[in-house]
Amino acid sequence: MKKSSIILIVIIAVAISMILVIYTDSSTYANFTEAKEKQTELYVVGVLNKEKALHYDPVKDANHFSFFMYDSDSTECQVIFNGSKPQDIERSEQIVLTGRMDGNIFHASKILMKCPSKYNKDQVEVIETTASL
Amino acid sequence: MDVNYVGEQLLPGQIGQFFVILAFGSAILSCVSYFFATQEPDIKSWRTMGRIGFWTNLLSVVSIGSLLFYIIYNHLFEYHYAWAHSSRSLPTHFIISSFWEGQEGSFWLWMFWQVLLGAVLLFRAKSWESPVMTFVMLSQTFLASMLIGIEFFGSRIGSSPFILLRDALVAPIFKDPNYLSMIADGSGLNATLQNYWMVIHPPTLFLGFASMIVPFAYAAAGLWTKRFKEWITPGLPWALFAVMVLGAGIIMGSFWAYEALNFGGFWAWDPVENVSIIPWLTLIAAVHVMVAYKNSGHGFFTATFLALISFVLVIYASYLTRSGVLGETSVHSFTSLGMSGQLIAFNVTFLLLTILFLVMRNKEMPSTQKEEDIYSREFWLFIGGLVLTVACIQMIATTSIPVFNTIFGTKVAPPIDPIPHYNKYQGAFAVVVMLLTAFTQFLKYKKTDSRKFWAATLASFIMAFIIAGLIIYFAKLYGNAMYILLTFTCVFCLLANLRVLGDAVKGKWRLAGSAVAHIGFALLLLGALIAAATNEVMSVNESKYIAVQNFGKEGDKFSDPGENLFLTQDEPVQMGDYRVTYIGDSVASPNVYYKIKYERLDEESGQVKESFVLRPYAQNNPDMGGLIGTPGTHHSITHDIYTLITAAASESQAKASGMPEEEKTGYEDYEEPATYQVNIGDTLRYRNGYYVIEGINRNAKLNNIPKGPDDIIVGLTIKVVTADNKSYPVEPVFVIKDGNTYDFNKDVAEEGLRFRFTNILPKEDKLEIMLYQKPLPEKKWVVFKAIKFPFINFFWAGTIIMTLGFGLSIYRRLKDGKFS
Repeated sequence: MKKSSIILIVIIAVAISMILVIYTDSSTYANFTEAKEKQTELYVVGVLNKEKALHYDPVKDANHFSFFMYDSDSTECQVIFNGSKPQDIERSEQIVLTGRMDGNIFHASKILMKCPSKYNKDQVEVIETTASL
Repeated sequence: MDVNYVGEQLLPGQIGQFFVILAFGSAILSCVSYFFATQEPDIKSWRTMGRIGFWTNLLSVVSIGSLLFYIIYNHLFEYHYAWAHSSRSLPTHFIISSFWEGQEGSFWLWMFWQVLLGAVLLFRAKSWESPVMTFVMLSQTFLASMLIGIEFFGSRIGSSPFILLRDALVAPIFKDPNYLSMIADGSGLNATLQNYWMVIHPPTLFLGFASMIVPFAYAAAGLWTKRFKEWITPGLPWALFAVMVLGAGIIMGSFWAYEALNFGGFWAWDPVENVSIIPWLTLIAAVHVMVAYKNSGHGFFTATFLALISFVLVIYASYLTRSGVLGETSVHSFTSLGMSGQLIAFNVTFLLLTILFLVMRNKEMPSTQKEEDIYSREFWLFIGGLVLTVACIQMIATTSIPVFNTIFGTKVAPPIDPIPHYNKYQGAFAVVVMLLTAFTQFLKYKKTDSRKFWAATLASFIMAFIIAGLIIYFAKLYGNAMYILLTFTCVFCLLANLRVLGDAVKGKWRLAGSAVAHIGFALLLLGALIAAATNEVMSVNESKYIAVQNFGKEGDKFSDPGENLFLTQDEPVQMGDYRVTYIGDSVASPNVYYKIKYERLDEESGQVKESFVLRPYAQNNPDMGGLIGTPGTHHSITHDIYTLITAAASESQAKASGMPEEEKTGYEDYEEPATYQVNIGDTLRYRNGYYVIEGINRNAKLNNIPKGPDDIIVGLTIKVVTADNKSYPVEPVFVIKDGNTYDFNKDVAEEGLRFRFTNILPKEDKLEIMLYQKPLPEKKWVVFKAIKFPFINFFWAGTIIMTLGFGLSIYRRLKDGKFS
């Protein structure tokens, strides 16, 4: 057997085992109920409860932001984020949180938001004054 | 219902749409003609037709671009593209970036570069013209189909940049023939893209992507026409060109992210970044194996395979970023325009071509029975190429998790923390690659004297050991085994290639290109490593609540002290070595610039040793959802200080502004008053100083109230002394007129004070006063984040040196090509 063939086999083996290991690094999408059971770090997808107030008072603590979110089963949960308020969270259509449940509060380490993109924000801004002809 | 719309300029769009169709048709014509020109080389008219098709395509592509630019530049908002991506207030250079903000524009950019490269090939490729151009024009056909925007059998093919606004959207105003005069402005360009790097990063990146077709075309042409050994020589400079441009384009994007985005870094392992670096790495692997093959005859299959698969991966990258499949995993993936079917077809076609040629020609491919010597350069070049490929497999596997989810219906989430996940794997691969890049320099092709090899290697190894030790010590990298190994191998690679460069200076100029590129890459990695490993958040909130927040748990990211610091205007805060002060802001609509002053003091003398002002800015854009911060960065040779505003006070408004005029009592601006019973001579405190009750003025007069015989008008003289020793006299007045009591207040406007003299209490022998104070004016504040990136300049300098090295190599390989 040629040396290069042996090396090729070794490398393929490394590649396959690596891919298997990658999937142990992967995480899961869950809702708040599952997050409570599992107590590990995971993803929760949901929408912001726009009726309840977002709490961010930088004068008191610039690293404390809390809000309420519904998950995919419409379960509501309070979320605390140890950082400043993300800039356009009020407009978000969907939120992907990374974090874990602590008691009845979800502690997020990362917030990813999907905002209405320019592609589907197809509302034409119309000026009131009609040109006089 | 037909409406005669007023004021629309329909002609540019109609001409544009014509050229869109012409571009598609001419690309097909050219591709097919070149195909037959390759199959039947004796019939010259096939090649002529191919060329006619090509020049028609070039003309069409240039016309599409000019018309689209005309539309955007003249703000013709009857066109959806102009309306969706630009606005009247954009300066010209950002109008250029709005040109490629949308998918249609970026596909055009790709087509434009591809057709320009085709023009170069037409003149330079000579005997390779027909087969190579077949593949270039096949790719051009697919790209042209992305712009068609016409329905065939109920499904829309592509998306035209010339679609009218009233066709793209459904809204009641389009019933009005005069709708155009009601559209005030376009939606504008995304604020984060309004950066001058966004003017040059996309063209460079797309030139890199577009030039990847050329090595593919040469490799495929070599297999097709059975000119196996020959394709490498003309293909190599093209592959180097693609690698050079794509590499520069990727790092420009990284620089843009660092300068303009707010995630605080230069590389985040975001899917969009990964998919652009994967084809870059596979083509680098291809270049190395191609060089090995040229010099030894080993590794033909691998070289060809890597050149082919690199372009397939480019198409895969555009599928991932443009089909919307990345959805929840990427911050900045494009949304779908309904073209994922076309992109899959594009991808599958080129993948099938790759497989087809490799299988068809498998038996005929040149191969050597002789085994490579372990002390030979080609053997290790080959291994290096494979290691790079495996590194790419890791990136593809993790990045493609959403694709697997779509195919298999699973719901696997990507790793929670992508950066450590990728660093773990790619760090290990980088160590191996740098080690190989170092010692392979001491090997010769075919056979090397093992003693000489070990002597030269060991000398550099020991030197590297000492230098790396110093770097590790001073950059404090010793806590992490991966950092130590990577630093060492980078230094080793640097030294080994410096030796080669030394030889080059002595006369072997041909070797300079690779040595310079390797030095650049080693510096780049070293810079990235030090900056990423030792960057520190300076704005850690050290003073507040740590004990409570941390719950005694160290290093828990949920409860660590946060990374944002609160600054009130003109109140300096010590942050690490620096004293930072928020000294004010200035408005240059639509941006607000926040001036943050940094001062480093000498510990003993207290003198300012270093001082600079950073101006991070933020755009308060309600359309984009409030405050969008753009960092300000202080660059110095040894480190950068990155500062980003994460929140700021909205302009404080008068508290009473919302109250109707008639309900105003004049006291809304004041806090709840305090009532005191005082005697003459008393001294009382207020928030910002004190005041003395000096005496009673019995001769007080009121201008428009005549004093009756029984009336009493008394003034109370009070002296207000502020904290900075300014004094103000003030005299509120108490009145008894016709049996009723009144009082007339007096203000000290400078201090926000209002005094009332409300009663005289003869029994207690006291005077009653009321003091109103205005609330302290809300001081302006900002919340910001500051990160120190040490030695990040290595990263940028390494990139420039690497690009230079690629340039030298292209020059050398072009010269080699002429000789043979």
